[in-house]
Amino acid sequence: MKKQLLIIPFIIFLFILLTFFYLLAIERNPSELPSNLLDKKIPKFETESLLKNERFISAKEFGKEKILVNFFATWCQPCRTEHTYIKRFSKEKGIRIIGINYKDNPKKAVEWLRKLGNPYSDVPVDKNGRIAIDWGVYGIPETFVINSNGIIKYRHIGPVTKKIYKKINLLISDIE
Amino acid sequence: MIKKKFIIIISICLVHFFLNNVQAVEPDEILKNQKQELRARDISKNIRCMVCQNQSIDESNAPLAKDLRILIREKIKEGKNNDEIYEFLTDRYGDFILLNPPFKLNTLVLWFFPFIFFGIGIFIIFFHNKKSKQN
Repeated sequence: MKKQLLIIPFIIFLFILLTFFYLLAIERNPSELPSNLLDKKIPKFETESLLKNERFISAKEFGKEKILVNFFATWCQPCRTEHTYIKRFSKEKGIRIIGINYKDNPKKAVEWLRKLGNPYSDVPVDKNGRIAIDWGVYGIPETFVINSNGIIKYRHIGPVTKKIYKKINLLISDIE
Repeated sequence: MIKKKFIIIISICLVHFFLNNVQAVEPDEILKNQKQELRARDISKNIRCMVCQNQSIDESNAPLAKDLRILIREKIKEGKNNDEIYEFLTDRYGDFILLNPPFKLNTLVLWFFPFIFFGIGIFIIFFHNKKSKQN
Protein backbone atom coordinates (compact mmCIF):
# COMPACT_ATOMS: atom_id res chain seq x y z
CA MET A 1 0.00 0.00 0.00
CA LYS A 2 2.71 2.41 1.02
CA LYS A 3 4.86 1.64 -1.97
CA GLN A 4 1.92 2.11 -4.29
CA LEU A 5 1.29 5.57 -2.85
CA LEU A 6 4.89 6.60 -3.45
CA ILE A 7 4.37 6.35 -7.18
CA ILE A 8 1.74 9.15 -7.16
CA PRO A 9 4.19 12.11 -6.94
CA PHE A 10 6.18 10.58 -9.76
CA ILE A 11 3.09 10.36 -11.95
CA ILE A 12 2.14 13.96 -11.15
CA PHE A 13 5.68 15.08 -11.96
CA LEU A 14 5.59 13.25 -15.27
CA PHE A 15 2.22 14.81 -16.09
CA ILE A 16 3.50 18.32 -15.38
CA LEU A 17 6.63 17.64 -17.43
CA LEU A 18 4.55 16.47 -20.37
CA THR A 19 2.30 19.54 -20.15
CA PHE A 20 5.28 21.88 -20.20
CA PHE A 21 6.85 19.99 -23.06
CA TYR A 22 3.61 20.18 -25.02
CA LEU A 23 3.38 23.95 -24.48
CA LEU A 24 6.97 24.31 -25.67
CA ALA A 25 6.52 22.11 -28.70
CA ILE A 26 3.35 23.60 -30.17
CA GLU A 27 3.68 26.66 -32.35
CA ARG A 28 2.72 29.50 -30.09
CA ASN A 29 3.74 33.09 -29.66
CA PRO A 30 3.58 33.96 -25.96
CA SER A 31 3.57 37.69 -26.66
CA GLU A 32 0.34 37.37 -28.61
CA LEU A 33 -2.57 37.99 -26.30
CA PRO A 34 -6.26 37.53 -26.90
CA SER A 35 -8.07 40.75 -27.56
CA ASN A 36 -10.63 41.88 -25.08
CA LEU A 37 -12.45 43.67 -27.88
CA LEU A 38 -13.21 40.60 -30.01
CA ASP A 39 -16.89 40.41 -30.95
CA LYS A 40 -17.46 43.86 -29.51
CA LYS A 41 -18.34 47.11 -31.21
CA ILE A 42 -15.42 49.27 -32.29
CA PRO A 43 -14.40 52.03 -29.90
CA LYS A 44 -15.75 55.37 -31.12
CA PHE A 45 -13.27 58.09 -31.94
CA GLU A 46 -13.03 61.41 -33.67
CA THR A 47 -9.82 62.97 -34.92
CA GLU A 48 -8.20 64.83 -37.77
CA SER A 49 -7.53 63.14 -41.06
CA LEU A 50 -4.01 63.11 -42.46
CA LEU A 51 -4.96 63.46 -46.10
CA LYS A 52 -8.42 65.06 -46.08
CA ASN A 53 -9.51 68.44 -44.87
CA GLU A 54 -12.45 67.10 -42.88
CA ARG A 55 -12.45 65.42 -39.47
CA PHE A 56 -12.55 61.65 -39.23
CA ILE A 57 -15.64 60.51 -37.32
CA SER A 58 -15.74 56.75 -36.69
CA ALA A 59 -19.54 56.62 -36.33
CA LYS A 60 -19.86 57.81 -39.93
CA GLU A 61 -17.37 55.31 -41.36
CA PHE A 62 -18.08 51.99 -39.68
CA GLY A 63 -21.18 49.81 -39.75
CA LYS A 64 -21.89 49.85 -43.47
CA GLU A 65 -19.35 47.46 -44.91
CA LYS A 66 -16.44 45.23 -43.95
CA ILE A 67 -13.41 47.31 -43.07
CA LEU A 68 -9.79 46.62 -42.19
CA VAL A 69 -8.19 48.84 -39.58
CA ASN A 70 -4.42 49.03 -39.64
CA PHE A 71 -2.31 50.88 -37.06
CA PHE A 72 0.93 52.09 -38.62
CA ALA A 73 3.74 54.61 -38.30
CA THR A 74 6.66 55.63 -40.46
CA TRP A 75 9.13 54.95 -37.64
CA CYS A 76 8.00 51.34 -37.45
CA GLN A 77 10.07 49.07 -39.67
CA PRO A 78 7.67 46.07 -39.64
CA CYS A 79 4.95 48.45 -40.90
CA ARG A 80 7.03 49.01 -44.03
CA THR A 81 7.47 45.25 -44.44
CA GLU A 82 3.78 44.48 -44.21
CA HIS A 83 2.80 47.39 -46.47
CA THR A 84 2.87 45.24 -49.63
CA TYR A 85 0.24 42.95 -48.10
CA ILE A 86 -1.90 45.88 -46.94
CA LYS A 87 -1.82 47.15 -50.54
CA ARG A 88 -2.80 43.71 -51.80
CA PHE A 89 -5.86 43.72 -49.53
CA SER A 90 -7.07 46.90 -51.15
CA LYS A 91 -6.13 45.88 -54.70
CA GLU A 92 -7.16 42.22 -54.79
CA LYS A 93 -9.98 42.20 -52.26
CA GLY A 94 -11.24 45.73 -52.84
CA ILE A 95 -11.82 46.05 -49.11
CA ARG A 96 -11.84 49.47 -47.48
CA ILE A 97 -8.83 49.97 -45.23
CA ILE A 98 -8.53 52.64 -42.60
CA GLY A 99 -4.94 53.30 -41.58
CA ILE A 100 -4.56 54.88 -38.18
CA ASN A 101 -1.32 56.84 -38.11
CA TYR A 102 0.12 56.18 -34.64
CA LYS A 103 2.27 58.84 -32.90
CA ASP A 104 3.90 60.01 -36.08
CA ASN A 105 5.20 63.08 -37.82
CA PRO A 106 2.40 64.05 -40.29
CA LYS A 107 4.82 65.32 -42.92
CA LYS A 108 6.83 62.10 -42.87
CA ALA A 109 3.62 60.06 -42.98
CA VAL A 110 2.36 61.86 -46.10
CA GLU A 111 5.75 61.37 -47.76
CA TRP A 112 5.86 57.69 -46.71
CA LEU A 113 2.45 57.03 -48.29
CA ARG A 114 3.40 58.91 -51.45
CA LYS A 115 6.53 56.81 -51.82
CA LEU A 116 5.20 53.38 -50.89
CA GLY A 117 1.66 53.80 -52.22
CA ASN A 118 -1.51 54.51 -50.27
CA PRO A 119 -3.92 51.62 -49.78
CA TYR A 120 -5.93 53.50 -47.16
CA SER A 121 -9.30 55.09 -47.86
CA ASP A 122 -8.69 57.43 -44.96
CA VAL A 123 -5.88 58.05 -42.49
CA PRO A 124 -7.06 59.28 -39.09
CA VAL A 125 -4.25 60.68 -36.96
CA ASP A 126 -3.58 59.30 -33.48
CA LYS A 127 -1.22 61.99 -32.27
CA ASN A 128 -0.78 60.98 -28.63
CA GLY A 129 -1.67 57.30 -28.85
CA ARG A 130 -5.00 57.59 -27.07
CA ILE A 131 -7.02 56.00 -29.89
CA ALA A 132 -4.64 53.03 -29.83
CA ILE A 133 -5.19 52.62 -26.08
CA ASP A 134 -8.95 52.54 -26.66
CA TRP A 135 -8.38 49.72 -29.15
CA GLY A 136 -6.17 47.83 -26.71
CA VAL A 137 -3.18 48.21 -29.02
CA TYR A 138 0.23 47.61 -27.46
CA GLY A 139 2.60 46.99 -30.33
CA ILE A 140 2.17 48.32 -33.82
CA PRO A 141 1.62 47.21 -36.53
CA GLU A 142 -1.76 45.79 -35.57
CA THR A 143 -4.58 44.90 -37.93
CA PHE A 144 -8.28 44.50 -37.11
CA VAL A 145 -11.05 43.00 -39.24
CA ILE A 146 -14.39 44.76 -38.72
CA ASN A 147 -17.65 43.34 -40.07
CA SER A 148 -20.46 45.34 -41.65
CA ASN A 149 -22.13 45.84 -38.27
CA GLY A 150 -19.06 47.57 -36.90
CA ILE A 151 -18.02 44.60 -34.77
CA ILE A 152 -14.40 43.52 -34.37
CA LYS A 153 -14.02 39.96 -35.69
CA TYR A 154 -10.27 39.47 -35.74
CA ARG A 155 -7.12 41.08 -34.48
CA HIS A 156 -3.58 40.48 -35.59
CA ILE A 157 -0.62 41.82 -33.64
CA GLY A 158 2.60 42.33 -35.58
CA PRO A 159 3.26 42.57 -39.31
CA VAL A 160 0.99 40.81 -41.79
CA THR A 161 2.98 37.96 -43.33
CA LYS A 162 2.07 35.72 -46.25
CA LYS A 163 0.43 33.24 -43.87
CA ILE A 164 -1.55 35.92 -42.06
CA TYR A 165 -2.49 37.50 -45.38
CA LYS A 166 -4.13 34.23 -46.48
CA LYS A 167 -5.84 33.84 -43.11
CA ILE A 168 -7.32 37.34 -43.15
CA ASN A 169 -8.30 36.90 -46.80
CA LEU A 170 -10.36 33.82 -45.95
CA LEU A 171 -11.87 35.61 -42.98
CA ILE A 172 -12.94 38.58 -45.08
CA SER A 173 -14.83 36.24 -47.40
CA ASP A 174 -16.42 34.42 -44.46
CA ILE A 175 -17.76 37.27 -42.35
CA GLU A 176 -20.84 39.27 -43.22
CA MET B 1 41.86 42.42 3.93
CA ILE B 2 38.82 40.35 4.77
CA LYS B 3 37.17 43.43 6.20
CA LYS B 4 37.74 45.30 2.94
CA LYS B 5 36.20 42.53 0.90
CA PHE B 6 33.28 42.41 3.25
CA ILE B 7 32.63 46.14 2.85
CA ILE B 8 32.78 45.84 -0.95
CA ILE B 9 30.29 43.00 -0.95
CA ILE B 10 27.94 44.84 1.39
CA SER B 11 28.06 47.98 -0.74
CA ILE B 12 27.34 45.99 -3.92
CA CYS B 13 24.35 44.44 -2.19
CA LEU B 14 23.11 47.85 -1.07
CA VAL B 15 23.42 49.31 -4.55
CA HIS B 16 21.41 46.42 -5.92
CA PHE B 17 18.82 46.87 -3.24
CA PHE B 18 18.29 50.48 -4.25
CA LEU B 19 18.44 49.70 -7.96
CA ASN B 20 15.47 47.41 -7.50
CA ASN B 21 13.50 50.34 -6.20
CA VAL B 22 14.25 52.49 -9.21
CA GLN B 23 11.10 53.54 -11.03
CA ALA B 24 10.55 54.83 -14.51
CA VAL B 25 8.28 57.74 -13.57
CA GLU B 26 9.68 60.90 -15.12
CA PRO B 27 9.62 64.27 -13.34
CA ASP B 28 7.16 65.84 -15.79
CA GLU B 29 4.61 63.12 -15.08
CA ILE B 30 4.47 63.59 -11.32
CA LEU B 31 1.31 65.18 -9.95
CA LYS B 32 1.57 68.18 -7.66
CA ASN B 33 -0.96 66.75 -5.24
CA GLN B 34 1.07 64.24 -3.26
CA LYS B 35 -1.91 62.15 -2.21
CA GLN B 36 -3.02 61.78 -5.83
CA GLU B 37 0.53 60.98 -6.92
CA LEU B 38 0.76 58.20 -4.33
CA ARG B 39 -2.52 56.77 -5.60
CA ALA B 40 -1.20 56.87 -9.17
CA ARG B 41 1.98 55.07 -8.10
CA ASP B 42 -0.05 52.48 -6.29
CA ILE B 43 -2.21 51.75 -9.34
CA SER B 44 0.78 51.78 -11.71
CA LYS B 45 2.50 49.08 -9.64
CA ASN B 46 -0.46 46.77 -10.29
CA ILE B 47 -0.63 47.39 -14.03
CA ARG B 48 1.37 45.20 -16.38
CA CYS B 49 3.39 46.81 -19.12
CA MET B 50 1.95 45.06 -22.17
CA VAL B 51 5.18 45.57 -24.09
CA CYS B 52 7.60 44.05 -21.56
CA GLN B 53 4.99 41.84 -19.88
CA ASN B 54 6.88 41.05 -16.70
CA GLN B 55 7.32 44.62 -15.57
CA SER B 56 4.75 46.96 -14.13
CA ILE B 57 4.19 50.25 -15.92
CA ASP B 58 5.72 51.88 -12.84
CA GLU B 59 9.08 50.29 -13.68
CA SER B 60 8.96 50.20 -17.44
CA ASN B 61 10.51 52.71 -19.81
CA ALA B 62 8.38 51.62 -22.76
CA PRO B 63 6.51 54.49 -24.44
CA LEU B 64 3.17 52.75 -23.92
CA ALA B 65 3.89 52.43 -20.19
CA LYS B 66 4.54 56.17 -20.04
CA ASP B 67 1.28 56.87 -21.89
CA LEU B 68 -0.64 54.69 -19.47
CA ARG B 69 0.99 56.35 -16.44
CA ILE B 70 -0.08 59.74 -17.75
CA LEU B 71 -3.56 58.43 -18.54
CA ILE B 72 -3.95 57.08 -14.99
CA ARG B 73 -2.91 60.44 -13.55
CA GLU B 74 -5.40 62.23 -15.79
CA LYS B 75 -8.19 59.92 -14.63
CA ILE B 76 -7.26 60.57 -11.00
CA LYS B 77 -7.39 64.33 -11.60
CA GLU B 78 -10.82 63.86 -13.20
CA GLY B 79 -11.92 62.38 -9.89
CA LYS B 80 -12.23 58.73 -10.98
CA ASN B 81 -11.82 56.14 -8.22
CA ASN B 82 -9.37 53.23 -8.38
CA ASP B 83 -11.96 50.66 -9.43
CA GLU B 84 -13.09 52.84 -12.32
CA ILE B 85 -9.51 53.18 -13.51
CA TYR B 86 -8.85 49.42 -13.32
CA GLU B 87 -12.10 48.82 -15.18
CA PHE B 88 -11.13 51.30 -17.88
CA LEU B 89 -7.87 49.41 -18.45
CA THR B 90 -9.26 45.86 -18.30
CA ASP B 91 -12.04 46.82 -20.72
CA ARG B 92 -9.35 47.56 -23.28
CA TYR B 93 -6.51 45.19 -22.46
CA GLY B 94 -8.26 42.37 -20.60
CA ASP B 95 -7.43 40.92 -17.17
CA PHE B 96 -3.89 40.26 -18.38
CA ILE B 97 -3.03 43.88 -17.71
CA LEU B 98 -3.50 43.30 -13.97
CA LEU B 99 -0.38 41.88 -12.34
CA ASN B 100 -2.59 40.31 -9.69
CA PRO B 101 -5.01 37.89 -11.33
CA PRO B 102 -8.58 38.66 -10.23
CA PHE B 103 -10.62 36.11 -8.30
CA LYS B 104 -12.92 34.73 -10.99
CA LEU B 105 -14.46 31.43 -12.03
CA ASN B 106 -11.75 30.76 -14.60
CA THR B 107 -8.94 31.58 -12.14
CA LEU B 108 -10.29 29.40 -9.32
CA VAL B 109 -7.77 26.65 -10.13
CA LEU B 110 -4.95 29.16 -9.98
CA TRP B 111 -6.01 30.37 -6.54
CA PHE B 112 -6.90 27.04 -4.98
CA PHE B 113 -4.26 24.69 -6.38
CA PRO B 114 -1.56 25.72 -3.91
CA PHE B 115 -3.90 24.99 -1.00
CA ILE B 116 -4.97 21.67 -2.47
CA PHE B 117 -1.35 20.64 -3.00
CA PHE B 118 -0.49 21.79 0.52
CA GLY B 119 -3.33 19.65 1.83
CA ILE B 120 -2.13 16.63 -0.13
CA GLY B 121 1.40 17.19 1.18
CA ILE B 122 0.22 17.35 4.79
CA PHE B 123 -1.85 14.23 4.25
CA ILE B 124 1.11 12.30 2.80
CA ILE B 125 3.42 13.34 5.65
CA PHE B 126 0.80 12.46 8.25
CA PHE B 127 0.05 9.13 6.60
CA HIS B 128 3.73 8.32 6.25
CA ASN B 129 4.47 9.08 9.92
CA LYS B 130 1.58 7.00 11.14
CA LYS B 131 2.70 4.05 9.04
CA SER B 132 6.32 4.22 10.16
CA LYS B 133 5.27 4.48 13.81
CA GLN B 134 3.19 1.36 13.43
CA ASN B 135 6.16 -0.42 11.97
